[in-house]
Amino acid sequence: MKKNTGNKIGLGAFVTTGLLLFVIGIYFIGQRQQLFRETFQISAIFKNVNGLQPGNNVRFSGINVGIVNNITQTTDTTVRVDMQIDERTRKFIKKNAKASIGTDGLMGNKIVLIAPGTSSEKGIQNDDFIEAAIPINMDDVLLKLKTTEDNASNITSDLAVIMKNIRMGKGTIGMLFMDTVFAQNLGVAVVNVKQGSQGFKQNMDAASKSFLLKGLLKKKEPAKKDH
Amino acid sequence: MHGKMKQLSTTDHIKSLRGRGSAVLKGFFMAVSQLTDFVLRFFKELFKPPYEFSEFAKQSYLIGNKSFLLVAITAFIMGLVLTIQSRPVLVEFGAESWLPSMVAVSIVREIGPVITALIFAGKVGSGIGAELASMRVTEQIDAMEVSGINPFKYIVVTRILSTTLMLPLLVIFADAIAIYGSYFGVNLKESVSFHLFFLQVFQKLDFTDVFPAFIKTFFFGFSIGLIGCYIGYNANTGTEGVGKAANSAVVFGSLMVFLVDMIAVQITSLFT
Repeated sequence: MKKNTGNKIGLGAFVTTGLLLFVIGIYFIGQRQQLFRETFQISAIFKNVNGLQPGNNVRFSGINVGIVNNITQTTDTTVRVDMQIDERTRKFIKKNAKASIGTDGLMGNKIVLIAPGTSSEKGIQNDDFIEAAIPINMDDVLLKLKTTEDNASNITSDLAVIMKNIRMGKGTIGMLFMDTVFAQNLGVAVVNVKQGSQGFKQNMDAASKSFLLKGLLKKKEPAKKDH
Repeated sequence: MHGKMKQLSTTDHIKSLRGRGSAVLKGFFMAVSQLTDFVLRFFKELFKPPYEFSEFAKQSYLIGNKSFLLVAITAFIMGLVLTIQSRPVLVEFGAESWLPSMVAVSIVREIGPVITALIFAGKVGSGIGAELASMRVTEQIDAMEVSGINPFKYIVVTRILSTTLMLPLLVIFADAIAIYGSYFGVNLKESVSFHLFFLQVFQKLDFTDVFPAFIKTFFFGFSIGLIGCYIGYNANTGTEGVGKAANSAVVFGSLMVFLVDMIAVQITSLFT
């Protein structure tokens, strides 16, 4: 009889603990989904939700403050996203707050990000609509990347042709780098120019001392000073 | 002459194979029909008074409480091993912070219910099969009928009901213990506080993970109890029948767990 009572108490404890664990689990999952908290609803109209699903998180200042309640196609180009937000954050979200769609990490789920808006603006009300920022579409990014990649490819192929020509000694720069005779000639030309300019300077000095040109040179000096 | 005899023996062989095949098929349909009768009788007897509360409580204690330790040890090891084995792959992607969520979803959705049900089929299913078969062999069931006790209500209904209600509870315990085992596994290689681990576990768990998995455990428990009782109740006379019944209860019970799981996953995927 005693054993029977002990067994019954054991069974009762077993069942109670099991159910308690289940209820705790449900409570924590429900809490994450804002089931046991006071909430309010806001909506935003997007052109493209980029795979956002009901149940995805809504983040405000990096904190999860709610979940996406419902996503409905309203017209052929607009999608309405309803969000259930924790009542405690209502005072921080202003009427001109902006909603955008982002990703949780590199490979994570889609999330709605709410930017708070200006502090001078009025606080948001239940069932209000907030402005939606145009989400960055990965397809657009990839398209732009493709154009950049094409341009880079063209530039590198042109550069390769130029480098090839330089190596072959074609063109002025090619001759400069690769043609030793041209380089020697260039060196000689520079020496000649140097010598020529020295000779010219000597001539000009001599001319300035000549009585025939003295007057002409003196007339030009005030004109230089005026400039 | 010799060729004709050979031809005759081949024809006989085909005939005997056909005969054996049709016998197996007949046996299968017969078993399905008897099982259906058994299920219908269970539901009929379940709601018909008098109710055997005391026997039900005793069986629940034996089936639930007495299986707890085995289930708890298995669940702890399951959580620990799953975490250790999954870690290298996630580290490769730099996503080891996802380990608690991933392990929790795997345990709650699939591994917890199925492994617990298999352990349950091995321990409880075989026990019920052997117990009922020995009662049949020693004519205790016949004696009950003679003494005016409804053996089906007293033996079968209480046991099937106990397995149906106790397995979900054991799965809840198994899930909780396996997640604790996972926490232990995570902390073998890195240091994560219990609070953070707890938050990460519930971050990805959803009602669509918990409820379908919880509901299917009732069907697992029902199948295991039903198969154990059916095989034991209809066991052949002789000591050989007891061993055979225990063995068949485990084999068919485990098979039923996988069949029910497959159907449950198909149904769940329709709604999620």
